[in-house]
Amino acid sequence: MLVLACVPFLIQRSVTASTCTQDDLTPQEKRGKQIYVIGGGSESNDILAYVGDSSIEVPGSALPCAGCHGLSGKGKPESGVIPSDLTWEALTKPYGVTHPNGRKHPPYTVRALELAITRGLDPAGNKLLAVMPRYQMSSTDLADLIAYLKRIGETKERGVADDAINIGVIVPAAGPLSSLGEAVKATTSALFAEVNKEGGIYNRKINLKFVETSESKEATAKNVRRFIEDQQIFAMASAFTAGAESEVSSLMNELQVPLVGPLTLKPEIGHPLNRYVFYLVSGLDDQARALVNYFARNSNDLKNGAVILLPEGGSFETVVNALVDQCRRVGCGSMEKASYVREPFDGAALALSISRLNRNAVFFLGSNSEALSLFKEAAKLQWVPTLYFPGGLGANDVYDAPPVFNNKLVISLPSSPSDQSAQAIQEFRGVAAQYNLPKNHVASQLMAYSAAKILVEGLKQSGKDLSAANLIAALERLNEFRTGLIPPVTYGPNRRLGSRGAYVVVVDLDKKTLVQAGSWIKVE
Amino acid sequence: MKVSFAVVIFNLLLWPSYGVVINRDGAPGYATFREANSISTLKTSHQPAQKRSRVGGKVRYACPMHPEVTGRQGGRCRKCGMALRPYKTETTAASIPTDPATSLGDPEKTVAVRNIPDVLVTDQNGRRFHFRSDLIAGKVVAINFIFTTCTTICPPLTATFRRVQQELETNGNDVQLISVSVDPSTDTPERLHDFAAKFKAGPGWTFVTGDKDDIDSILQALGVAVADKNDHTPMVLIGNDAVGYWTRTYGLASPLAITKQISIAKTAR
Repeated sequence: MLVLACVPFLIQRSVTASTCTQDDLTPQEKRGKQIYVIGGGSESNDILAYVGDSSIEVPGSALPCAGCHGLSGKGKPESGVIPSDLTWEALTKPYGVTHPNGRKHPPYTVRALELAITRGLDPAGNKLLAVMPRYQMSSTDLADLIAYLKRIGETKERGVADDAINIGVIVPAAGPLSSLGEAVKATTSALFAEVNKEGGIYNRKINLKFVETSESKEATAKNVRRFIEDQQIFAMASAFTAGAESEVSSLMNELQVPLVGPLTLKPEIGHPLNRYVFYLVSGLDDQARALVNYFARNSNDLKNGAVILLPEGGSFETVVNALVDQCRRVGCGSMEKASYVREPFDGAALALSISRLNRNAVFFLGSNSEALSLFKEAAKLQWVPTLYFPGGLGANDVYDAPPVFNNKLVISLPSSPSDQSAQAIQEFRGVAAQYNLPKNHVASQLMAYSAAKILVEGLKQSGKDLSAANLIAALERLNEFRTGLIPPVTYGPNRRLGSRGAYVVVVDLDKKTLVQAGSWIKVE
Repeated sequence: MKVSFAVVIFNLLLWPSYGVVINRDGAPGYATFREANSISTLKTSHQPAQKRSRVGGKVRYACPMHPEVTGRQGGRCRKCGMALRPYKTETTAASIPTDPATSLGDPEKTVAVRNIPDVLVTDQNGRRFHFRSDLIAGKVVAINFIFTTCTTICPPLTATFRRVQQELETNGNDVQLISVSVDPSTDTPERLHDFAAKFKAGPGWTFVTGDKDDIDSILQALGVAVADKNDHTPMVLIGNDAVGYWTRTYGLASPLAITKQISIAKTAR
């Protein structure tokens, strides 16, 4: 009788709860959700799972509930195994449940559910399917998990309503980069306004919201976290994070917010993969590899090898490794590493010591001003090596290099005007005119515009039933997707960098222009 | 290695529906071979392993639904009333092989099991192997089929395999365990490494990925190729390459059932 008495109470609870959204999860329900999704409880109490005849013990994290029953609780059938529907409504059907294999039982109660989880028995005392593990967990963890099970299936995806999707963009704070921030805001607003004008995506309008970076990377991460939670952000399109790239991308992973197109020279694409962050174009490492390929193909002096010249104390480890590794792969002679002191920088001494290494190719990882000083001192010594700059040289002062370096400065770029289709440029110009977009920071505008277009494509491909998991799956299906503004992007289960490779561009000092040398160099 | 009659009998009685024997010439009972490809029939089929009695084994009759009920020819089950069917009991693994003449199988079906391709594959540590010559040739092996993004049956399959490995270790392990990824384009060695680590896979257990075409050729040869990876069978293939003995068992069965099949394979001649 006691058992029966519980049921109306539980049903009543679930009805009152059904008006809530995920945000209303109590702390206990949130802890329960964590157990459900990742199989981990409070740190002091490990959760263990027992499979088969109970002789198999594995950590709960190897067999979390969500693995079989899905984030929605409805179950993910696979290879003939049909996991039960765990939504509270299904578990507590007043007339009980009859499973496809004929197993019948009365409605679940809290106590019955505890027995199912810990002993593998349904309310009728039947054994559950052998693949359903028995879990050993503390009574607190068990109570938390059951509290969440009463709510599973009612919870909605953060930032997704029937008529709206909340999308966020990270822009630079007021300060030296504020005009860049304004340009990016204007471009993304214009694109999403166009999307909304056409009826949105599955009748959902895009609510675009902006958050600014802060004075430190920790403060930026904190800002972004508060922004996502307070503003209920579903996904992000482009991010200018000013040094907080790493913090922001781990935040996306933690909060499960897909981010398309963060602007960075150091995309984090290694193992373990951050599934939530999708990059558009190659960073320094892949560009360095493309430059090595170019060097190996075009230099007639491979036997002398090359020098990698880098400032002391910077974080150039991965790019140096990429240069050395790629050189080994394509066979371009030996790579010698040399570093120099930045403060004070002595261009004359550096040029002298490097010229004595007798190499005619230098991969340079320092700054613009250091490079210019080096050119001038090298020219005085009549030492004119070919200089390679992974990731390019910013600003126009590269044209101030001594004339002897004409066609000797080789730069990599992750995208070039040759990627741009007439149609896409026409569309962008149309939008720019209509929304009166700023005339500066056009390259950044194109990146932000491309990121937003890729996100829109992902949202469309996700279908009406939108969730972060569906969006990620849809983005992973993009293959050679053309924005018409940047190289075509391809993602996959192990791939988060849209286009891997670079263009190589040679500096023509006479005409003060950049000349693209050959076609796209692919890096795999 | 010697296996007592009792062990074999116990095994046959306990798991009549799971052990499907492919003889040294590679000819299985056709019906049982088919059953092994479908888990629903694997789970519900209560047919004894051998449909027909064999020379060398004493013939008994058992209920197809209740293998513990045995009796004489023409008898009926006291539990369900079904007619008892012929059922072999006293035999050793060595005498199990089917007489090709009476086999219901099409020999072509199983030639593939012997023609395991010697393609280059990569393990969870990034090492390269030749699949047949390095991992199978001359060994007793147990092979299951997984992919790392499969969250419903692969974790329990792998946990079961881990338990099998522990059982084997206590008996001085000389069995090669292999988990072949059915989604090689996604399953990089790093992913396999993490997956293996999650289940504490020990040495002697190789997770295999590689070029999709190569892996597909392995799956074809082992008779487990499916169009959709989500339909892959939760099956363990157990083989003794030295004598050409292969058998299949249900991968979500108890670890004990699998180790039994492995010990039978070990003693096969």
